[in-house]
Amino acid sequence: MPAYNEERRVARTLAELAAFSGAEHAITVFLVDDGSVPAVDEEALARAKGALDVILARHGVNLGQGAALETARRLALAEDERRAPRCFDAYVTMDSDGQHRPEDVVAIAQAVREGADVALGDRFGGGSDVPRSRALLLRLARAFERLTTGLSLRDAHNGLRGFSRVALEQMHIRQNRMAHASELTRRISRARLRFVEVPVAVRYTDASLAKGQRASGAVAILVDLLQGFLFEERS
Amino acid sequence: MKPEITPAALALVALLVVLFAVDLVRHGKSRRLLAVQGVVFATGAVLIVYPEIATRLAHAVGIGRGVDFVIYPLVIWLVRESLLTRRRRRDDEARFTELVRAVAIERVRPIERQRGAHSSADVAS
Repeated sequence: MPAYNEERRVARTLAELAAFSGAEHAITVFLVDDGSVPAVDEEALARAKGALDVILARHGVNLGQGAALETARRLALAEDERRAPRCFDAYVTMDSDGQHRPEDVVAIAQAVREGADVALGDRFGGGSDVPRSRALLLRLARAFERLTTGLSLRDAHNGLRGFSRVALEQMHIRQNRMAHASELTRRISRARLRFVEVPVAVRYTDASLAKGQRASGAVAILVDLLQGFLFEERS
Repeated sequence: MKPEITPAALALVALLVVLFAVDLVRHGKSRRLLAVQGVVFATGAVLIVYPEIATRLAHAVGIGRGVDFVIYPLVIWLVRESLLTRRRRRDDEARFTELVRAVAIERVRPIERQRGAHSSADVAS
């Protein structure tokens, strides 16, 4: 879970998720504070975390969402405090601003448990109220991705994604900022992973809309993608 | 060959002189760089005042105008420089990212449940 200047929303998101953590689902949250100013409030997290295990890493400076997701991925794949490899049925990424519902997080994890390598949240199948300007932008992004990655996703830029361990090992993110979504789609496409799209709801709030991507952000994404395409050494 | 002292030529040479003076004052200690800059600027000034030199050189290699003789290689160099700079910036960013990430992972820690007053009451509040 990447977090950048989400203030109290992080603790609220954790608290919501905590209600779903228990004997049935043991959830460990890898929270990456991407250089928030002020830093995320650890006391608030401690109060909100309930039965969740929360591991906090902090980037000293803001790097971008892609970089935060990559840090979380490394933490999940690394050994734990007792130097044992971490065992998990599913790894799920979600936003920290409360736009994703915890029941959808569980649904995504369940899809991975049932055999999908990758489970992607699809807000257009979930009856969530997507603002029209946002819907148009996402449709454009979809067409672009079909062209560049060869994979047709209904909702490529949903932060709610689930991976099996095998899939996660292949999801190295090099795009620090928002272009990581296209990068992930490309990796999923290349690796020929079994993926499913799971209908989820996205709760748009004023805060999430204000921070969300605008059309100008799309240009920045294109520039990042072009540079990635030009300068990336084959991996 | 006679010098062409037009208002444009004067303005350009004045610009070169001012820029060089500024750099001399600001970076007076980097002598070698200033020497190179001085040679490049002086060459530029000569080419501005005696455009015929560039024109003759251009004709010699089959380019129509003297200005083009200077501009063509300059554009090629600038385009290459801009691509290389972007690439370097990207590589630097990747290295910087790994550094910040390494520090973050080094200092990673679990959030401990708060003890005492609000131990159980706050679960999933």
